[in-house]
Amino acid sequence: MSPAPLKPDEMDAVFAALASEPRRRILDILKKEPGANVGRVCEFFDIGRVAVMKHLAALEHANLVVSEKAGRERRLWFNPVPIHMIYDRWTTEFSDYWAGRLARMKYRLENAPVPLAKAKGGARG
Amino acid sequence: MADSKKAVFRIVVNGTMEAVFRELTKTGEPQGAVFSSMLTLEAPGLVRGRRMQMRTVSGRHAIVVGEVVEHEPPARFAHTHRFTQHDDPFCTVVYELRKVDGGVEVTLTVENIPAGTKTETEMMRGGDFILKNLKSIVETGRPPLGTRLMYAMFGALEFVLPAKTKSEHWPL
Repeated sequence: MSPAPLKPDEMDAVFAALASEPRRRILDILKKEPGANVGRVCEFFDIGRVAVMKHLAALEHANLVVSEKAGRERRLWFNPVPIHMIYDRWTTEFSDYWAGRLARMKYRLENAPVPLAKAKGGARG
Repeated sequence: MADSKKAVFRIVVNGTMEAVFRELTKTGEPQGAVFSSMLTLEAPGLVRGRRMQMRTVSGRHAIVVGEVVEHEPPARFAHTHRFTQHDDPFCTVVYELRKVDGGVEVTLTVENIPAGTKTETEMMRGGDFILKNLKSIVETGRPPLGTRLMYAMFGALEFVLPAKTKSEHWPL
């Protein structure tokens, strides 16, 4: 019996959410600053609060962001579970090892930049 | 100001609240979602304030110690949590279950994580591992193959656990 994967509509929502650079940057921010509020996330963008809220809605719909009301603010956390399940779907025990080694070699050789380094609000990587 | 001392993980499981809750609170058999550990209590029953441990299947090592904070079946279970091999403070693990379209939404929250510790590293890695295994167990009856292989290794490699984790040092 195969492991339980994400359902097709759940998978579609995750890929749709990730197909946007601002949304990927929001995940970077929340990974770095778990529990950041909406205002803090907006500091990293020039696109306005309403646009950021729309991106957050797409990320929440895909279960990539979890939000909690805390008084008058909403606090946000990156939820890595859907990405982990996508990873599991196409990775075996052996490809995990070799793909991981190749990826780390690429990061080392290319001195991969930290995505947040370019973000408004300062580098935190 | 960001709160670096809390982590949240969430998944939707196609099953009943009762089935999911049982997997997270069962005693007397390994919890396949939670590192194949045996939830061991000082006395029968998940009662607030009762001391609990997560032990290896053999019972020879206690990996986690803590006490029950909340037990409201089938919606909420919380306990304090400290790894016996690390000298870090306790954090709190909270499981919240909510019925949604397509099943049960399970939210795992870890509060008061001691920042910059080995506990923080392990809790950040463990959250999604627990939830994806929980989903697999409830929906298919067992954890994914990779997890099963890992659990098989746990038994064979138990002798490498630090001596300080031996259950005799953590009497209940």
